[in-house]
This record gives sequence, structure tokens and C-alpha cells, in this order.
Amino acid sequence: MLLPSLLSLLLLPSPAVLAVANFENTAVVRSIELSGTLTHVATTYAAKALVGNVKTYSIALPRLEKERTSFFEVKVKGQNVPLKAEFDWDSFKARDYDVLRVTLPEPLSVGATMNLVLETVQTRASRPWPEKASQTETQSLKYDFSLFVISPYETLVQRTKVKLPHPEVHSFTQPKDVSQWAQDDAASHIGNVITYGPFRNFAPSASDVFDEQQTMQIHYPYEYPLVEIASYHRHAEVSHWGANLNIDDNIHLRNVGPELRGHFSRLEHQKQAYSTKRVSHIIPGMVLHLPAGISNVYYYDLIGNVSTSHLRTAPAPAKRDARNKQYSTLEMRPRYPMLGGWNYTFTLGWDSNLADYAGWDTTKSKYVLEVPLMTFVPSSVYTEASISVVLPEGATDVEYFPPFAPETQSVDTLKTYLDTTGRPRITLAYKNLTDRHALGTIHVTYRVPFLAHLKKPIAVSIAFMLFFALGLVGRRVNLELHSAPGLKQKTL
Amino acid sequence: MSTAYALPKDLSRATVVNTASLIRIVALSLISGAAIASRLFAVINFESIIHEFDPWFNYRATRVLASKGFYEFWNWFDPTAWYPLGRVVGGTIYPGLMATSGVIYNVLHYFNLPVDIRNICVLLAPGFSALTAWATYMFTKELKDESAGLLAAAFIGIVPGYISRSVAGSYDNEAIAIFLLMFTFYLWIKALKAGSAFFGTCAAVFYFYMVAAWGGYAFITNMIPVHAMVLILMGRYSSRLYVAYSSWYAVGTLSSMQVPFVGFQPVRTSEHMAALGVFGLLQIIAFAQLVRSHVSSKQFNNLLFYGVIVLGVGGVGAVVGLTYAGWIAPWTGRFYSLWDTGYAKKYIPIIASVSEHQPTAWPSFFMDLQLLVFLFPAGVVLCFKELRDEHVFVIIYAIVASYFAGVMVRLMLTLTPCVCVASAIALSTLMDTYIDPVQPEADEDETAQSDAGDSVSGSSATGSISGAAPKKAKKLAAAAVAAPPSANPLAELVGAATGGPRMKKGVWGFDTRFTVLLHTFGMLAFFVMHCTYVTSSAYSSPSVVLASTSPDGSPHIIDDFREAYYWLRQNTKEDAVVMSWWDYGYQIAGMADRPTLVDNNTWNNTHIATVGKAMSSSEEVAYPILRAHDVDYVLVIFGGLLGYSGDDINKFLWMIRIAQGVWPEEVQEANYFTPGGEYRVDERASKIMKESLMYKMSYYRFTELYGANPAQDRVRQQTIPKPSPTLDYLDEAFTSENWIVRIYQVKKEDHLGRDIKSANAFEGGKKRKRGRPAVGRRRAMQ
Amino acid sequence: MKSISSLLLLPLVLAAKPPQERLAELAQKNNGVIPLDATTFELITGPKRTWSASIQLTAMDPRRRCGPCKEFDPSWKTVAEAWSTVPAKHRDTHFFGTLDFDNAQAVFQKLNLATAPVVMIYPATEGPRQLASGKTGPSKYEFSQGFDPLPLAQHLNSHTPVPIPFKAPIDWNKYATIAFGFLAFATFLRYAQPVLQSRFTWGIITVISIVVFTSGFMFNRIRNTPWAGPKGASVAAGFQTQYAQETQMVGMIYGTLAASFAMLIFVTPYTKSSSRQRVQVYIWNAVIIIVYSILVSLFKIKNKAYPFKLFL
Repeated sequence: MLLPSLLSLLLLPSPAVLAVANFENTAVVRSIELSGTLTHVATTYAAKALVGNVKTYSIALPRLEKERTSFFEVKVKGQNVPLKAEFDWDSFKARDYDVLRVTLPEPLSVGATMNLVLETVQTRASRPWPEKASQTETQSLKYDFSLFVISPYETLVQRTKVKLPHPEVHSFTQPKDVSQWAQDDAASHIGNVITYGPFRNFAPSASDVFDEQQTMQIHYPYEYPLVEIASYHRHAEVSHWGANLNIDDNIHLRNVGPELRGHFSRLEHQKQAYSTKRVSHIIPGMVLHLPAGISNVYYYDLIGNVSTSHLRTAPAPAKRDARNKQYSTLEMRPRYPMLGGWNYTFTLGWDSNLADYAGWDTTKSKYVLEVPLMTFVPSSVYTEASISVVLPEGATDVEYFPPFAPETQSVDTLKTYLDTTGRPRITLAYKNLTDRHALGTIHVTYRVPFLAHLKKPIAVSIAFMLFFALGLVGRRVNLELHSAPGLKQKTL
Repeated sequence: MSTAYALPKDLSRATVVNTASLIRIVALSLISGAAIASRLFAVINFESIIHEFDPWFNYRATRVLASKGFYEFWNWFDPTAWYPLGRVVGGTIYPGLMATSGVIYNVLHYFNLPVDIRNICVLLAPGFSALTAWATYMFTKELKDESAGLLAAAFIGIVPGYISRSVAGSYDNEAIAIFLLMFTFYLWIKALKAGSAFFGTCAAVFYFYMVAAWGGYAFITNMIPVHAMVLILMGRYSSRLYVAYSSWYAVGTLSSMQVPFVGFQPVRTSEHMAALGVFGLLQIIAFAQLVRSHVSSKQFNNLLFYGVIVLGVGGVGAVVGLTYAGWIAPWTGRFYSLWDTGYAKKYIPIIASVSEHQPTAWPSFFMDLQLLVFLFPAGVVLCFKELRDEHVFVIIYAIVASYFAGVMVRLMLTLTPCVCVASAIALSTLMDTYIDPVQPEADEDETAQSDAGDSVSGSSATGSISGAAPKKAKKLAAAAVAAPPSANPLAELVGAATGGPRMKKGVWGFDTRFTVLLHTFGMLAFFVMHCTYVTSSAYSSPSVVLASTSPDGSPHIIDDFREAYYWLRQNTKEDAVVMSWWDYGYQIAGMADRPTLVDNNTWNNTHIATVGKAMSSSEEVAYPILRAHDVDYVLVIFGGLLGYSGDDINKFLWMIRIAQGVWPEEVQEANYFTPGGEYRVDERASKIMKESLMYKMSYYRFTELYGANPAQDRVRQQTIPKPSPTLDYLDEAFTSENWIVRIYQVKKEDHLGRDIKSANAFEGGKKRKRGRPAVGRRRAMQ
Repeated sequence: MKSISSLLLLPLVLAAKPPQERLAELAQKNNGVIPLDATTFELITGPKRTWSASIQLTAMDPRRRCGPCKEFDPSWKTVAEAWSTVPAKHRDTHFFGTLDFDNAQAVFQKLNLATAPVVMIYPATEGPRQLASGKTGPSKYEFSQGFDPLPLAQHLNSHTPVPIPFKAPIDWNKYATIAFGFLAFATFLRYAQPVLQSRFTWGIITVISIVVFTSGFMFNRIRNTPWAGPKGASVAAGFQTQYAQETQMVGMIYGTLAASFAMLIFVTPYTKSSSRQRVQVYIWNAVIIIVYSILVSLFKIKNKAYPFKLFL
């Protein structure tokens, strides 16, 4: 026990261990909300500064959790401005945890306390168990997590609450030999909450010497389908002539619930429609929220229009900022009910008035365009997403500001609709988007010179003039060698 | 001269002529518009989708052409069709259609117009129908004049007989073929009239296009020679005929042989021998003429005459001999079945089974042509009246086409243009006669004779112009030199249109004219209504999607086919082999993108018969066949729940017949009937029928849907016996919403090496007692 | 007469020889076709047969009013006769039999046959001529190609040890008529040249043939539809069917309409007097309207959904 720690102190001076002195956590409360493919985790650190004038607070995340985590945000409790927080990559990588460095709004004096809240969204943390289910069976999920919230600082008391979607639970693991931290039973299940802890008086656990970590597992029934968007491509195209913003989503839907055992029987399916017991893991369809004030909504797939959908459009809101409150709803149904492991690809698109999304910035004298990042399919994870914004032909000094750091980003030109020079296209690629990303918008600013507007009409009219000119000449050139009377008389 | 109604006098000739030509252009464009618009019902009622069955293959091929380019397409070997044989597509199709839309696609994309290839394919037929209208106008113009041409164009534009094969979405060879047909004929007439090699070559070029586009090119290949032959027999041989025919045949044949699918047929098969023979005959005659023109001796001419005859007979003999020797293939079955109408039913059941190869009952004629069907003979009579060479052509066309249309429904298509032309001639002659304001002077009833001289001058003026229907202002002016200044240009123009000497012909009074014209326009209006009705109701449904009305009366779309096909596409292995009856092969390949055993290109009878046998025999017999062709899924169409009559149970008899043709011992049609000789599916159905794979797959678990009530088959109006048939060798994999498409997965061999039935029996035994009643029952039978 | 005598002889014959020879004798007696009754039927289709047999089950008695039977019987006889000419060693391994309904109703019931004629082919169950497939049950001959002897012979060839030496008899009078017709035509040409060269002849021929074809004549030819429906129904219900009678009606109608148009075009304008002309115009218009209305109403009968109607 001692030797490795000494080693670690001497040979591998890890930042976590160095940071020990700065803080102590008076209390750490972690609440995990289990909901299908997405798991929302909120951890509150009540920290007390031990030395003066410290600017950064370190939060440790186990590797496993970090890999699952697709979104994280650190705030001071009660405020809603996120703090600057980033993983320190230069730290030693052999550990089984990562350290997140949070820059505090103002340096703390000795003994001052503050509450930090770390919100993360984990994707695919719950997996279906059993992995196969027949058409009529129900589905259950398994979620496993590490018992203790580790921290580079000393922790006086910590506790973990797991919120279940439903009071009943198949099983959950009891922590073993935690007597050194906890007096009474370490885990209790009341209502739809399972509470672990409280555990008291932790030494700095985010260190290589700490090997008391345990993996807890919860097996619970879940009666909503697990939806995954395997790939999502949004193509937003701006037209100034048409005062129109066209948005075209290319969506590959997957049911990642338990795979279908045996075969699909329409008879059973139609019987289930009448029976009260709903089958949890079949996606019969879904309700999507589209922006307000949209028109010409289309919904088709590789072999044509899909007629099984209903749309209720809301009128465009008066104020731009009210956009996220009003929405049109699309009840879309795939061609066939989606059972476990089945796929369905489709295309969804619409036109919307450009004025709702673009404006004219007088200060910089540029157009400002806001393109919503995605159409969110409720409680689903977007594995691969790429969003491309196409600006009008001849748009110059383009700047764009993505809401979240993309995996890759590129700008190229696209030629379409009688273009001569082509139009700039911005493409952003993302991974594992979740509901927390849903409301993001891409901001683009650009200029369009007046001549660029006229480019197309001029090109077309020139083409037509050439055509007519050819026609004129063609009519007047006489190719006959000798005039045959039969021909002369009958020519229109 | 006296006119029946007042004409504006103060019109300069230029005005009249220009207005006339402007009106012509406007009318033509309006006609094109109408032609296109009337074909869009399908798109408006449903969507922009490919119709029927064959178009799906054309569409698929076109996609390959558009995405991979022409050479890829040319050498395209499609391993997914006719599994496991595969199909050399490049060499077994008429590429004209795909090439056309491919060119359009590339042109549009060159101009950065991102039009989807699907929309090009869907809208190709309407677009070409506009061109057809124009071609028909040109053709008819050669026969009579512009006014007749416009009428003909309008007719062909909206007549159901042509719309039936060219609505938006019916992306088939006929879509462009009719335009090519009419335009080739127009060019031929033109070449014949002017004796110009130029037009002859143009005709050949379009003939080549036609050959590349449609198997029906044989119609041209035989029409033109027959025309030439008849002209010769009528003693109308002329150097013009010689030039036109020779240029057409030489260039046309050589170019047509460039199409791989045609290859050497033009010199090796009987369908093309007529053209060759007439070509030879023309050379002989031309030679004879040449010699005759140089030699004057009577006897020599006689000698030559008989020599020609001998040569001709010898040529025919040679052809016959070659045919017997096997150098020239005899008539293929499809053509032969046109003459010997019983032939197909006896020897090629696959051809006989196709619905559009049935003979035509009279209602179809009336449905497709309405009033044209009886204007048609009148027009032919008119053609006889002034029997110029082109009229002979129309007459022959009329007879031949009406015979073929009577024999086969689909050949109504070739008849339609001719009907339009002839009836347009008739109707426009009628209207010319009764619109013409000039009244004849000599009326027996009138006692007071009008001044004869005036009449003569007036008529002579109009007559002089009537010779050449004038179009350009300078021509009219030239003609007008003959006419006295008093003459009225409008009257002359109208008079010119009527043509012929107008000495005694003419109509008195206004009421007569009014009656006839009112009557005519009434009938035309009725015709338009008829066409609209027929088009919208009968010819505009893409059999892929079915229209119905939901309980609340709102239109509802039944989309089972695409539901099932898309399921196949998304949720089965890429290389899963699907077995279905050949009707659905192309659709599966196009929409589900999966290999199929047989498809609508019915070139391999045995393969189709194999599928027929598998469908019509019991599971135990069928299973080895399925496994041998490593079939993964079997797809059947079942309309019993919805009342969709075009389902497989109704096609079942053809499957049996075709299978019986190859395995007469194992499959026998009679066994599928009740002892009373009825075709039933209820409890009176024969045991073999109930045991057949098709029956089982169609009605699998069908009765359970009805619970305790009798399970009613809505197509056959019969009650399906309980319990439903059970399947041992297949699993139900997917069934569409209205049960129209049912897909079954073929089980792999049992991993314990038991035969599957006993394995099932074992499983069933382990399950609840009512697990598999069928096993016990079948045991009892053995 | 002969058959009856043979029937009388049967019992004693039956007493004597092994079945195959007996059958052979019977066959020879009645040049190829064995007249069967219940017992001989049992004999010829006995379970242990080293021979194959094709049996025509028919009802020749006029009371039965079986038209097809009478139609088919002669071709059956001719084929059987042709078979009786092959050398004995083959001939006696395949027999032709005819079982009349009135001689053995029981057999018909046993085979539960409701229709006649029926041709059953029984393969050999034993001996060298047993089928490779081991099939012993009878198979049926479909009359899918009509009652002609040729297809029958072709079908039976697959069941007989050697192909049946059947040749379609040369139809002399057919050739004669053809030859005669040709001669007649030649002489006709010789004298009626002016008629043939006049466009009117051809015009009439053309127009008539067109009208005939467009009024669904070929449909009748191919489907050989009856002249009129059951109990004299003149119009067949249904869009895709028709009776021969309809073709004629429709042909008439088309003819009339075309003719009246032709009249309006050719004759009326050339009339000398205005009053007569006027009368003609009105007459022809009236004719067209009336006949056309008849046509449309006729079409409405065929196609119930058709929404339009003229004055009728």
C-alpha cells in the first residue's frame, strides 16, 4: 500500500497528487438519471479552499465514464454561465482516469467555499439485457457505473443517487466491504431512487494508490424504444432570390433495443394494437419538432414518398428569439414498424422564410445567418452527424461560429442550379450528439456583392440570346444544292 | 361571288399569312402543353414514381448509365438477375431509352441543373408525347395540309390509346418509340415525294434510333418495303422511289446492325427478309428501266421483262431455300403468333400468359379511340380519293395496324397514330367544306341565273392558289398576280385549304354550315371529355401504389409493395436471394435491390418453370429446389384480405401450366381443380392445391386473423378452411400492413442433421400441445 | 355390331388365356380400340399389369348429348388404328380402350368423373415397361390443344414403347380447292382486270376489313366466342368479353357513321339544288347523332362506370 504510493510520489509526479493541497470537498453528491440511450449525470462538489488565491479546481473522471461522456458542462451552482473547463492532455496517460481543469470565475481566499456542478450526458451507457427479445417480450436495460466519485482532493462525505424511470428494478449490486467509509447499509432502494452512500472521509481518491473502486450494476425495465441515429446529414441552403432557407435532413434510424428473436409476425403486431399491454421496444413512429413557420415539408426515402405522416405547422413567431418556444410537429411513421435491430433511412426537408433565420448586421455590414444544428429525435443519440451550410453564389468573407467544437470542419464550393462560379459550403462533422446539443445554432456571417446577385440572370439571358442567334442563322442558311420544287412548297 | 357570311375585306395578304402561321405555332405549342398536362394525372394523384413492372428495370439500368457512364453500362453484367445465371444487360436490351434519358441527364448536369434521374425518367414519356404530336403534324401535313395536321396533332396528343402507354412514370420503350415511328414515317414520305437521298438517310438515322429503342421496329422494317412493293405493283415505280428506298435500306440496315441486341438479324431472320427482297427487286427493276431506256427493241424488252420476273422468283426461291437450309431463321414465336393466333397458347404459354397479349374486344377499341374509330374509315376513303403515294402508305398502314391491334391489345399503340391521321384528314376535309364561305352560283332552284363570268373569274382565282397551299407572303403575292384585285385574301386562303376544282362543289346557306360545324364541335368536345375521363380513371395508376378511400372518405394510399420491398432493402443481407413469380422480379431488383431468381425479362423458360414448380408443389418437394438455388426469401402477393385481385393465387394457374410444360409428369393442371373442374381455395379445394407452397404461403395464419368468424377471402369470395396451413420448411419473415406482400424465410438445414419436419415436430412437442397440429395430421395421411 | 359380338364372346375368352393376350385379341378384333365394360376395365387396369393402356371414357349415347365426345371419338379411333399397325411385340404392350358411360357408370363414379370425354393413361406397373419414376397411377390427357388426332398421338408417344406411326391424312380436297381457287383467280384476273385496277374495289375491301377488325372480329376468331350468350343474351356483361353478335352490331354502327360522314363530305356539297342539299345535311346530321348515341349507350352497358351519355 505504501510502496506504490511512494513510488508514485517520487517517480511519477502526477498533477492530481500535486494538487492535493488546494481544496477539500466538504460534500459530493452525484445524481444519475437513467433514461434509455442517454444518461444524465449531475455531480455537485461543495469545495473549501485550503490555500489562498487558487484559480483552478480539478475534477477527476474515470476513463470508462469519460469515454461514454459526449457532453459536459461545469457551472457554479445557481448560476447558468458555464465555466471554462478542459482536460489536461499533457498529464500522464497511464492512469485509468482523466482530470478536468476548471477555471474558477474569481480566485478563492483561504476557507472560502463554493459549489461546482458538473453536468455530463453519457451515451449508450445502458445496454439491453437480455440482448435478444421476441416480438412480444418486454425489454430491460443494464447500467453499470463506478461506486465512488473520485477526486484529487480529500472528500468528507459523498453520496450517489440513481433515478430510475420506473419504481421497479430487477436487481442492483450491493457495495462490498465499504465499512471503513459507511456505517449503515451502503445502498437503499426507495421509490424510483437507489441511493449509494453516504460514504465519509475519503482520502484523495484520484490517485494511483486508490484501488478500492467498485463497479455497481443496475438491471431495470425500460418501456420506451432505444433510438439511435446512426448517421445524420443536414444540408441547409440559403437563397436570397427566393428569400428561402431550405433544410434537408438525411437520417438513418436504428432501433438499438434488444434484437428481434425469431421473426416478425404481422398478425401478432395487429393483435398488440388492440391489447392494452404496449410492447416497449418497437418503434411504430415518432413525433418530431420542426421549426415554426415552415412550408413544403417533404418526407421520402430511397424509393419515393412516404405517405404515412401528419404535419401540424405553427405560424412563424413574431420575434426571432421566440423561435425555440413554438414549433411545428411532424408525426412521422416509417414504412414498417421498427423492431429491435432494424434500420430505416429517410429524408426529411422543408422550406422556411429566410427572414426568420438571417438578418443584416449594420455595424459590420454583413449578413448574419443562424442555422439550427439539428432536428432532434427525442431521447436518441446521433452517432455520426454532418451539417453543411450552403451560402448564396458569390458570397464573400465568410465567417462561421459553430456552437460546439466539431470533429472536423471544412469550406468548399458547390455548383448547382445554373451556377457559374459556385457557392461556398461550410461542413461541420460531429459525433454523439445528444439532447443537450439539440438547441445549438451555427452562426454564419457573409457579404454578397450586388453583381453576384445578377450573375445568374445574366448568364441565362446570354445563353438564350446565343440560342436564338443560332436559330436565326439556321433559319436563313439554305443548304439545298438545287431547289427541288416538292421541297420548297412545303416548309413551315 | 356570293359568300355565306361576311368576311373582313381590309386585310393585306401578309397579315393573313403571318397571322395564320402565328396561330399555327401557338396552336402547336398549346397542343404540346395539353399532351404533356394530360399525362400528369399520375404524378398529381400519387407522386413522381416509376409505374408497372418493366419500367423499373429501365429505371435501374438508367441509374447505372447515369452514375457509371456509358461504357460501364454497355458492358454491364448484372449478377443479381436470374440468379445464379446473371444477365448480360448491355447485349440483351434496346438501349435507346436509357441512352436518351442518360443524354438528357448529362446535358442538364452540364448546365449545373441538378435534376434527379428519377424525375427525368418519369417525365420522359410526356415530353416525348409532345414531340409525337409535332411529328404527327408534319406527317399529316404531307398528306393534306396544315389544318389537318393540327387536328391530327391534337388527336394524338390526347387520345387514350396512346396515353395508355405514355403517362408520366410509365418509363417504357414505347414512350419514345411512337415518336420515332411517326417521325421515321414522315421522313420516308418526304424522301419518297422529293426522291431525296438526304431525307432517305435521315429516315435511316431515325430508323436506327427506333431499332435501338424498341423491338417493334420490325413494324417499320416491314411497312416501308410493303409500301414500296405495292407502289411497284401499282406501276408507280419511279427513280424517286428507288433513291428513297435504297438510301433508307442501305444506311438503315447497316446502322441497325450496330445494336448488339439486333446484330446480324437483319440478314439472318425472316422478319427482315421483306426489306431485303424489295431492295433486290428495286435494283432489278432499276436495271431493267436503265436497259429499256437505252434499248428500243420490243422483243428485247419482253425478254427483259420475263428475265426480271425470273430473277425475282429466283430471289424469293433463294430466300426460301436459305430458310430451309437454316441460314435464315424462321419467324420467331412472338411474330408467328400474330399470324397463327393459336400458336402462342399452344407452344409459348409465357407469352400467352401476359395480359397485354390478349386479343382486343371492341370496347377496348372504343375506349381508346372513341369517335376516331369511325372517322378512321371515312379518312381512309378520302385517302383513296386522291391516291398519291403517301396516301397508299396510310392505307396499307391502316389495314395492317388494325389487324394487329385486333390480335393483340398492346398493338393498339401502333394503330393509334394512323387512326389519328386518317380521322384528322376526314374531319378537316369536312370542316373545310363547310367553313368555306364561298357559295356556288348555279342553283337549280333559283330561277334568276347569276352572272357566270364573275363566278368563273372568282373560282379561277381561288383555284389557281388552291394548287399550292401558300405559306409565304411572296408566294401569295406571286399567286395573286393571276387573281383579280377584287378577290378577298381570307376567302382565297380558306378556298385554298379546301383544294380541288371548285366548279360545282359548294354549300348553300348559313344554317347548313352552322349545323354541321356545331355538330362537329360538339362531338370534339365530347371526345375531349372522354379522353380526360379515361386517362384520369383508367390509365393513371402506378400499379406499385394502390389508391383507396379511408372510412371517412378521404383518399388513402395503400403502399404495401414499397413497404415490403423497403424492408427487404434495409433489413436483409445484401446478397439474400429472393424468389417470387417473375412479374415482380424487376420491382424487387429496383426497389429492394436484392438478387432475384426470375424477372420480367422472360428469356429462360426452364428457370421460370422451376419457380412455377417450387410454388405449385408441396413443401417437401419444393425445399430441395429452394436450397439448390440458395433462396433465402420467398415473396408472394396475397390480395385475399384487401380484395386485391391481381395476386398470385389468381396467377397460380399460369405457374402450374408453365411448370407442366417442363415437368408434365410431376405437375398437372388438372390436379389443382376440384373433381367438378372448379378452381377453388376453400375446403373443397383439391388436396394437392392445399398442399402447394403457394396456397400455404398465401393463407398461412390467415384464419387466425378472423378469430372465431369464418375467414373470408375477399378476392375469391370463398371461406378459407380452418386451421390455417402450417409451414415446416419456411418461416414467416415479414407481412405488409394489408397482407398484400408476404415474405418467408427459407430455413437452413437443421444443425443436428435431422430433417426439418421431424425437428419441428420435436420442437412442437416440447412446446404447448397445440404446437403443431399439422404434423399429426400429415402423419395420418401417410 | 362387331363390338357387341365381342362382348358376347368375352366370358369364354376370359376363361381361357392370360390377360395380355386376351386384350391383344380384343384389340385386333375391334381394329385397335377395345370396347370396355366394368369387368374388362378392371382387367385392363389391373394392379399387376405388364402393359400400359390409354382409355377413353366417353358417353356416345345420343341421350347423353355429349357433343365433344362425338367430336373426339373419330380422332381416337384413327390414332388407335394407327397403333394397331405396329409390329405385334410392341403393339401388345400398349392398349387403347373405350369405356362408355352407359356400359359402366360405376367406373365413372369410382374415378369420380363428372365430365366426358376423358383420356386416362395407365402406365405399366410391372415388367420391363415399368416407368423409371416408379409412377403407377394414371395420368390424364388435357384437351388443351383441341380434339385433333395429331396432338393426341404426340402426347401418347411418350407412353407407348415405340412412337405411334400416325400421319395426319393428306387432305386432298383442301389441296384441290386451293388449286381450283388459284385457277379461278387466274382466270378472274384475266377477265376482271379493270375491276381489280379500279380504286373503288380496293377502297371498299379496305374499308370493310378495317371496320371488321376494329369492331373486335379477331377476338371472336381467337377466343371463338359464341354467337350469343346463354338464353339469348346479346351483349356480354364485362369489359373484356363480347359475343360474336356484338361485333356485328358494332360493325354496323361504325359503318353507318363512317358512311354518313363520307356522305357529308363527298355527296352533299356536290348536290345541284340548295333545298335538296339542305335536307341531306340535316338528315345525315340526325343519323350521326342518333347512331352515335346508340353506340355510346351500348358502350355504357359494357362499361358500367362510364359517366357520359348522349341523347339516348
